[in-house]
Amino acid sequence: MIADNPQQKSHSKLLLEQVSKEYPISGGDRLLAVSDVSFDVIENEVCVLLGPSGCGKSTILHMMAGLNDPTAGRLTLDGREIHGPSRDRGMVFQGYTSFPWLTVEQNVEYGMRLNKVPPAERRQRVDFFIDRVNLTRFRKAYPKQLSGGMKQRVAIARMLANAPEISLMDEPFGALDAETRWHMQELLLDIIDDSQMTVVMVTHDIPEALFLADRIVFLSSHPGRIKEILTMDFKQGRRITNKEELIETPGYIEIEREILHMMREEASDEE
Amino acid sequence: MTAPVTTQAGQSVAVSKRRWFEFNKPITPASAIWLALSAWVAFFGLWEFAVLMEVTNAVLLPGPVTVLTSFVELFTEKNYLADIGMSLYRVLASFTLACLLAVPLGILMGTFRSVEAFFNPLVSAFRYLPAPSFIPLLLMWLGAGESQKLALLFLGVVWFLITLIMDYAKSLPADYINTALTLGGNRRQVLWTVVVPAMLPNVLIAMRQMLAVSWTYLVIAEIVAADSGIGAMMMRAKRFVHIDEIMAGIVTIGLLGLLFDILLRAAQRLLFPYLETKE
Repeated sequence: MIADNPQQKSHSKLLLEQVSKEYPISGGDRLLAVSDVSFDVIENEVCVLLGPSGCGKSTILHMMAGLNDPTAGRLTLDGREIHGPSRDRGMVFQGYTSFPWLTVEQNVEYGMRLNKVPPAERRQRVDFFIDRVNLTRFRKAYPKQLSGGMKQRVAIARMLANAPEISLMDEPFGALDAETRWHMQELLLDIIDDSQMTVVMVTHDIPEALFLADRIVFLSSHPGRIKEILTMDFKQGRRITNKEELIETPGYIEIEREILHMMREEASDEE
Repeated sequence: MTAPVTTQAGQSVAVSKRRWFEFNKPITPASAIWLALSAWVAFFGLWEFAVLMEVTNAVLLPGPVTVLTSFVELFTEKNYLADIGMSLYRVLASFTLACLLAVPLGILMGTFRSVEAFFNPLVSAFRYLPAPSFIPLLLMWLGAGESQKLALLFLGVVWFLITLIMDYAKSLPADYINTALTLGGNRRQVLWTVVVPAMLPNVLIAMRQMLAVSWTYLVIAEIVAADSGIGAMMMRAKRFVHIDEIMAGIVTIGLLGLLFDILLRAAQRLLFPYLETKE
């Protein structure tokens, strides 16, 4: 259950430089949602954005996807500035986005159709990724017939089949019950580990962050800015794909306590 | 109600815990059918009873049986089928025209804020103008022929249809569109492969809602100036005080409305099977 961390060369994949985001609000005022955020996402790492609600973590992820433009600063992927959404940056959303009018396999195939991938390759990749998320039995089913966890597996397979450079996940398991979430986390970590993905994930669930992350960017709220970047030193450069083992690893409790403490500090600042 | 009955009811409640008035509790299919049937029986019963009691002049209030007889006479002796055909043609032709404009426009208005900002002030204003108020104008512009009737029916539904479809398009989950964009879709692809297929079931629902309104304007158009159609038949019947035929006309429109509702529901099930399957 212990895999090598494929994080050998620390090539920075996605770079944020002094990124800020303001929103106009009623009365002509402007709300500063993200303030002067700079960090990088390293190739093949799982970078988790963690923080209390209102810390702008979802806004940052949307800017990475190109669904939202920064008010100041710049974001680059492999040195190219991000302007608008593109297939380089795949995204899984918290809400269920499997298209109800398409079957599971049509959903997984959808992105490749948009990008005019040849049919033979499409079929092959559909088969591979449907199998990878354990939905082979349900490939002809429509999303209405699937559970929440299955729908998110469709969304993950659809993104991966499209072969993005980086995978952005906005609380993908936020709407799932605790047991399903746990299974999904293990499955996702397995997939990340054997397909060398670069992932940025937003969550407010501390155990989820600790389980999946190679690095955690902790954000404080109002406005969203980086409070601390935590490396998962207790994992000693490995990925632990089994939850019980993770919790028993020395150092886990300490870092969980540290994060809980930061969360509480943020909450008391709110008062 | 007398005392023993109350006791009896009280006992049955104690045994089966079934009451007629329970908040949000389902009832058995059998009792649903019985309740629906008894409403109809009560309706016809009261109607026949009122006729038998001579509440009013028998000429002004014919009984259900008389209406049924005149129904048969209309078909066999008065070429009623041609009238029905004419009315159907008017409703379907005008409604098709309205849909041809409202479906694409409503979808575009609900999808692009700029299109909405351009058209919505106009559409909203027109929605408040009662279609029948255009009748004098339409009569002068188009005469008393078919185009005047089609125009009235068109005006009666088109603004509401546009607004309904726009609202449905606006309430599509934004993340459907965001998903397609992050998979590399361009705007044309997103419009045709996400917005349009996501909208189709809603378009059918909007059509079902507005088709009923179209029948209302049909009757207005045919009562004002027409020599064929269900409404025209009813006006002819009025001249000869054939109340039974007027009532038969009302029943016909009700039945046709019901028929179209059933047909559109069936189309919904047939065209969008993915909506029917529940977990």
